[in-house]
Amino acid sequence: MSDRRPVTEQEALRESLRGLETARLPATVPPAQFPIETLVPEVRQQTPAVGQRATRPDARLHGLGQTKYIDDLALPGMLHARIKRAGIAAARIARIDTRAAEAMPGVMAVLTGREIPANSFGPSLQDQPVLADERVRHAGDGVAAVAAVTEEIAAQAVERIVVEYEPLPAVFDPFEAMREDAPRVHPPAGNVYAHKIIRKGDVERALAEADRVFEGRWTTQMVEHVPIEPHAAIAAWDANGRLTVYSTLGRITLGRADIARTLALPVNRVQVVGTIVGGNFGGKNEISQEPVLALLAKKAGRPVKGVFTRGEEFYASTTRHPFFMDYSTGVGRDGRIRARKVRLVLDGGAYCSWSETTLGKACILATGPYKIEHVQVEAFAVYTNKTVAGAMRGFGAPQVCFAYESQMDEIAAALAIDPLEIRLANAFDEGAASPTGQTLESVVVKASLEQAAARFGWREPRS
Amino acid sequence: MTPLRITVNGREHVLPAPPETTLLALLREHLGLTGAKLGCDVGDCGACTVLVDGLAVNACLMLAAQADGRSVLTIEGLATPDALHPIQQAFERHAALQCGFCGPGVILSAKALLDANPAPTAAEIREALAGNLCRCTGYAKMITAVHAAAQALHGATDERSPRATPVPRLPLPGGGTGGPR
Amino acid sequence: MRAFKLVSATDSAQAVALLAEHGPGVKVLAGGTDLLVDLKAAPEAPAVVLDISRAADMKGIAATDAGLRIGALVTHGELTRSPLVRELAPVLAEAARTIGAVQTRNLGTLGGNLVSGVPSMDSGPALIALEARVTVAGPRGTRTLGLAEFFVGPRRTALAPDELLVDVVVPAASLGKPAGFLKSGLRKGQALALVNVAAALWIDPDRGAFRAPRIALGAVAPTVIRAPRAEAYLEGRAVTAEAMAEAGRIAATEARPIGDFRASADYRRELVAVLTRRALAAACDRAEGAQ
Repeated sequence: MSDRRPVTEQEALRESLRGLETARLPATVPPAQFPIETLVPEVRQQTPAVGQRATRPDARLHGLGQTKYIDDLALPGMLHARIKRAGIAAARIARIDTRAAEAMPGVMAVLTGREIPANSFGPSLQDQPVLADERVRHAGDGVAAVAAVTEEIAAQAVERIVVEYEPLPAVFDPFEAMREDAPRVHPPAGNVYAHKIIRKGDVERALAEADRVFEGRWTTQMVEHVPIEPHAAIAAWDANGRLTVYSTLGRITLGRADIARTLALPVNRVQVVGTIVGGNFGGKNEISQEPVLALLAKKAGRPVKGVFTRGEEFYASTTRHPFFMDYSTGVGRDGRIRARKVRLVLDGGAYCSWSETTLGKACILATGPYKIEHVQVEAFAVYTNKTVAGAMRGFGAPQVCFAYESQMDEIAAALAIDPLEIRLANAFDEGAASPTGQTLESVVVKASLEQAAARFGWREPRS
Repeated sequence: MTPLRITVNGREHVLPAPPETTLLALLREHLGLTGAKLGCDVGDCGACTVLVDGLAVNACLMLAAQADGRSVLTIEGLATPDALHPIQQAFERHAALQCGFCGPGVILSAKALLDANPAPTAAEIREALAGNLCRCTGYAKMITAVHAAAQALHGATDERSPRATPVPRLPLPGGGTGGPR
Repeated sequence: MRAFKLVSATDSAQAVALLAEHGPGVKVLAGGTDLLVDLKAAPEAPAVVLDISRAADMKGIAATDAGLRIGALVTHGELTRSPLVRELAPVLAEAARTIGAVQTRNLGTLGGNLVSGVPSMDSGPALIALEARVTVAGPRGTRTLGLAEFFVGPRRTALAPDELLVDVVVPAASLGKPAGFLKSGLRKGQALALVNVAAALWIDPDRGAFRAPRIALGAVAPTVIRAPRAEAYLEGRAVTAEAMAEAGRIAATEARPIGDFRASADYRRELVAVLTRRALAAACDRAEGAQ
């Protein structure tokens, strides 16, 4: 290049050292000189909040690029981890050969599922292995992991790990999975792993007596959270055998217990440092690679960082449940809903994760914010050999809302009732009871509908 | 390995880096400038946005060698020791930084826009931010903030040296000094 | 990314020589928006990456006797900002502006977009509607060919492994020719074209009729294609909304789209009809504005 003087080897070495020197020194203005007087609200003092402009106390560092997310942290001697993903939906692991990976220069530790002290975790059912040991249940299952001095070496080493699989029949459709003869994702247990029924009144009789019965099926797809910051964590042990995990975990107390459990450590020997998280939306609500990093760090005797690739975010982290929602709704000629019968099937993927919570919330909300005397909701969460479905904003609420509001529009159209009026006629009032008998306070459904209608001019003549 | 000569935030660095080093890796790993983030590594999310010779680019899609002899501005080079850049100030004031992960990239995209177009329309701001994916803050606040920044910068006499905006001190009710939360 | 050897060329002749020296396995780096993504995903690195991004004679936009010469290394961002392009072939700026986002437009090059041979590329239709030619350099010398002949199949071009695309020339006869470009994607930002259409035409001022209409369709065939029957229908026909709509319907029958997760083949055909009509109308508006 014309702007570059030719240099002898020695000069080049000096040049490079000079570069390294520069690199170790603060690269720009020393951060302490930034205008980083942070916005710290006065503690122990009630400040007027309503009607005030609120400024996030952490916004200044965000804007300066000085907030340290996990991937911005580095500990001395830190290694980088990569996890080998199965790439097959259902299989028995016959053999794992890690010798070629271990022999690579720069590889400091290799880990397989059989080395994990207690290889299962999960927020409600402990049905998920940290790394698959005997059996692979979806293509995103980790089967081995590597810690190396660079991410690139770790990535190359992972490709040199040879896994022999005996493929097993897989099931991808939840209705197929519910059949007795379907391949079992977690044998010997069946594929339905959570089931809930809510009953109020006599739904069958009320449906039979209703003026009109509307039926329909609505389905929703799998959704990935796509936080812009991928899952990331660093594990480091101290000389007394205590583990510190820096992680993007959203629920650090729960995560701490799960990490301790999988490592067979007393919980007081595990410290979890939750840092600022670059987007969670429910996708970072349980542990993922943390025990793997901890064990790699223990084997290598050095801190280990792991950051999911964007691909892993899609196939190895949790997603929003696909829902299959069957609604039968009995309605009077006046548009009043007399009875609603709902059947929900949740495609849970390979592990339970937050399915039970999602199932529960979806059931309670499935009939909508409407006064209905006769209700039956039955819901199933089903294993399939697919990416795990777990928590995502709303825990099942958006799915059922899509179904009951879609059906509301169909009923309104069929009965020639204004879509707003039919909702106002059926909506909860103050003190209404939820399908599970909870008395509701501060109910503002009707007021909200009226206000929204006024704001976008619903009642004004439309051309 | 021939060292690269790259000006970053006004300061020249001479750095040896293997050929496969991306500009993003050079900034984050060699220079410790972690403001530019790795979000997708394929040029979709814009979290790695930096300005090279004044133009917004994805640092993950550029080899460090391609920045040899060029001038790079990262988020760390935007504020002065005394003051936030008006764009940073507007983003803070208009709550356009929630989790903040996409923030440095968005702010630099806004900088490139306002350098070329001092008074953009909302549509032009949207177009300028189309390469920066945000999942939590939302774009409405960002568009408001970019408008506000354009107004703050518009009054400047010289476009290249925007009027320094003093850092607002948080009014502390009761005259307290604040403290760790 | 796997380690590779990086060599750099400062002009096209040196680039061609380096390409010959390092053999067919060499990967050429210009803007990098495709190559770096590929290299990050590839299990094996190429032995050599040839960085041509500093090849001075492959840069720049200039009006010459032959027409508007656009270096292969001109970025999409440069195309959108170039006063020359905006004056002489504004449809190219419009098409470039729909590619990716600001950041990728500042990196990605016109040449890179063309040599990708991807049927949904946005540079192709506008250039084909303007009957652009490309210059290709190799060890056997330099040759030029029409851009329509340059595309030979999905992700395949007439470029030999030891050749480089050096520049694109919009012929003088096409400069100032009224043209329109329309693209439909699944969203406004960072979207691949479901269908894109460019139309260029002259209007005979005496007869108020179409003259030399050119219609190019993207993402609906193995390569960017012309719509010759729709063009023939319009030639000499009076400029009316009905004629443009009918040309759109004819163009839809010339498209050979596939259906995939982005859109069905039928939907793409429907888009061809609508976008062709609108692209023709946009070209007519521009013709009227020029009078």
